Amino acid sequence: VKAILKIALGIIAALGGFLDIGDLVFNTQAGALFRYDLLWAVVLGTIGIAVYAEMSGRVAAVTRRPVFDVIRMRLGFGLGLVALVASTIVNLLTIAAELGGLAIILQLLFDAEFSLFVVLAAIGLVVVVALLPFGGIERVFGYCGLIVIVFVATAIHQQPDWNDVARGFVPSLSTSWLYLYFVVGVFAAALMPYEVHFYSSGAVEERWDESSLKENRLNAAVGYALGGLLACALVVVSGYLFHPLGVRPDDLGTVALPAQGAFGETGLLLALGGMMFCVGGAAIDSSFSASYNLAQFLGWEWGRYRGPKKAPRFTFSWLVFLFLAMLIVLTGVNPVEITEYSVVFAVVALPMTYLPVLMIAGDRSFMGEHANGLISRTLGWIYFALIVVLAIAAVPLLLATNGGGG
Amino acid sequence: MNREGPVSIAHRLLDEQILDCDGKRCGRVDDIELTGSPPRVTALLVGEGLYPRRLPARLRGLARRLTGPERWGANALRIPWEEIDEIDVAIRLRGKAEELGLGEGDDPERWMVRRLPWN
Repeated sequence: VKAILKIALGIIAALGGFLDIGDLVFNTQAGALFRYDLLWAVVLGTIGIAVYAEMSGRVAAVTRRPVFDVIRMRLGFGLGLVALVASTIVNLLTIAAELGGLAIILQLLFDAEFSLFVVLAAIGLVVVVALLPFGGIERVFGYCGLIVIVFVATAIHQQPDWNDVARGFVPSLSTSWLYLYFVVGVFAAALMPYEVHFYSSGAVEERWDESSLKENRLNAAVGYALGGLLACALVVVSGYLFHPLGVRPDDLGTVALPAQGAFGETGLLLALGGMMFCVGGAAIDSSFSASYNLAQFLGWEWGRYRGPKKAPRFTFSWLVFLFLAMLIVLTGVNPVEITEYSVVFAVVALPMTYLPVLMIAGDRSFMGEHANGLISRTLGWIYFALIVVLAIAAVPLLLATNGGGG
Repeated sequence: MNREGPVSIAHRLLDEQILDCDGKRCGRVDDIELTGSPPRVTALLVGEGLYPRRLPARLRGLARRLTGPERWGANALRIPWEEIDEIDVAIRLRGKAEELGLGEGDDPERWMVRRLPWN
């Protein structure tokens, strides 16, 4: 029973950490612009992250190797360095986006100067990480982030035409550049690679072994399925409320409004509070992901459990990434814009980090009996093909739509 | 895997993580020294001074400006093959990292971390 409880708690924590600023921005805009039409792309992206996370978790459990360890092993130094630099740039943009998002939410909750909240948010994260044990951080942000389930309640409360909603799950393509841009955006927002890099590094830190594979499968199957439900709810509530009005939500306050429509002031506060924990947790995950990647690639000592004394380079680089991200936000660029760039460039860099994991997960000399079977192998390569297509299409679509501006 | 006998250099040695006898991560195999005919692995080479060799010729000059030239014993270390204990999920050394000059970048004495308030 204790083991089941532990797994359940793990899933809840993972679920609370599923939504980040990328999902909040892209899914809400997708709903406003195309009503329920892009729900299928959310599902596609959610399955994608489940596939990638399951493989990375399995590789971490069996070979004790996190993602960037595998990248250095399979791509070598030169190509691996390209993957590292690309991922680091994307991570910096992501940390900046989450930090900026956190500051906006704090500003909405406690009305004051934006740049003050940017600095306070960064300092707050450092204090939280320095003082709380890591299991505690995951639980606090995971459980509290779960408050965003208010969006699911909102969707049910709105009583949309469920037949229309269901039709959104049927894939459809259109020749509109903007529509295609949002297919890429919604897919990529669900499949942010930092989440997987963080997950697999965490698995190594928690000393996962073969006995953890069940937990890994459950996280991927149940955790991400429920996470996908939250992501779909964002599309539905926004499609229901904003699409008929022709409103284009381009700030985070608007993202929370549907909850106010359904449950009044309480709904708004719950939505903003849940978003604050989701985005705050994502800021921690993405910043750690940046340091994990760097330390693993260069062979430094790393780990949240080792602490600054045993892993000083890792800790120092984490502070530097957080500081640089803070500077990016303080330049005054709209965090929603930073979010769009971080999500689009994430999918561009994704094939380079996904492929080595796919290779090792299928390699019997490393994985033995836990190597990819027929299903994981087929699904793995189908997603690789899909990711490559989207990676190639991403930047042209970004330019053709003027950054999603239409 | 035993360190005697054949070993797949590309598959299991190059770019692999190195751990010392305490399990401390202390670098990756950046290059390999082969000697004799048929060639035998006589040492693993580790250090940022070796990074430029791993890049395409055109980028080496630029990379060398960042890492400095190879200085043996400083930014390029030679780990004799005899120092390797076992190769399993990583390369495990017989001794401590410090004895071979590895992992010095993670030496807390070099950093101010001891003076951080939470230590």
